[in-house]
Amino acid sequence: MKSTKKILAILALITFVLALAVPILAAQLKSPDEVKTALRLLVQVSNDFKRQITNKNFARVPHEYMEYTEAADALRTSIKNEPADFKNRVETRLKTAVAAYQKISDMSSSATDPDKLMAEHAKAVTAMNAVFDLFPADFRPDPNLPPPGRGRGQRS
Amino acid sequence: MLYRTDVRRNLSVLGRAPLSRRRLLVGSLALPMTLLGCSRRRSSEQQGVDLFIASDGDFLAFRPDELTCRTGAVVHLTFHHAGKFLSARHNWVLVYPDQMEAVDKDAEKTEGVISTDDPRVLAVVPMCDKGETMMTEFIAPAPGEYPFFCSTPGHAVDMNGILHVTE
Repeated sequence: MKSTKKILAILALITFVLALAVPILAAQLKSPDEVKTALRLLVQVSNDFKRQITNKNFARVPHEYMEYTEAADALRTSIKNEPADFKNRVETRLKTAVAAYQKISDMSSSATDPDKLMAEHAKAVTAMNAVFDLFPADFRPDPNLPPPGRGRGQRS
Repeated sequence: MLYRTDVRRNLSVLGRAPLSRRRLLVGSLALPMTLLGCSRRRSSEQQGVDLFIASDGDFLAFRPDELTCRTGAVVHLTFHHAGKFLSARHNWVLVYPDQMEAVDKDAEKTEGVISTDDPRVLAVVPMCDKGETMMTEFIAPAPGEYPFFCSTPGHAVDMNGILHVTE
């Protein structure tokens, strides 16, 4: 009974340490500014996808996908000097996210219904957020924040 | 001899008729008008202003997003695409007040290319790829606030700013 409790306690401790390990590792990233920029670019392009779909500008969607792959490459470059284990984790989730955005791009060639594409976009955002989860909270861009530009509300 | 003959022929072609009053008047005014034109041009050059604007790296924003110049100034505007990662193209389009949305919407049909003949448009810097720099020159319009934006489809929502033209 006692040994079972001990094992459970050790397992809980290991889980706790592992849960802490990823953010601590990320907090010590070698190029934090580059990482932040790359993560923000992923959000920016994802928002562009949404905008093109909403405006029914489907012809532009493949171009947005190309930009998404470029933003993904920017993230890869920003973590190139990190430990292999961390890079592998990021790569696995990043590939899933890129594939999700590629699916939207492929669908856009024959799309007429923005709702269907938006449903796929929501799935892609979930996949992208899984990438962000590997980084500390203060590195993750808030998708609800307005972009750095003036925005429509501030125009004359 | 031959040379003299040719000169005479040329003179006959040009005509040797006495100058009319109208021609005399135009001729006598030509020099002062030319000088006046030069002096006006010189005063415009004195009001010349150099403005510099760039994209905020790869982000959809201009830095700075507000510019100022005096009315009537000859503006030399330089735009730099400061992006490093994304293949998105950017440009700089200055339009009359309240025309941004309409011009931007029309530009969607032409992949963002803006006609310089468009009467709603004051000035355009052509599309730039990342790292490129281009210029445009225009006369600052009447005092007021003039919007500028990037006409790549979907960019204007975030990538815009204001040119303040003062007295």
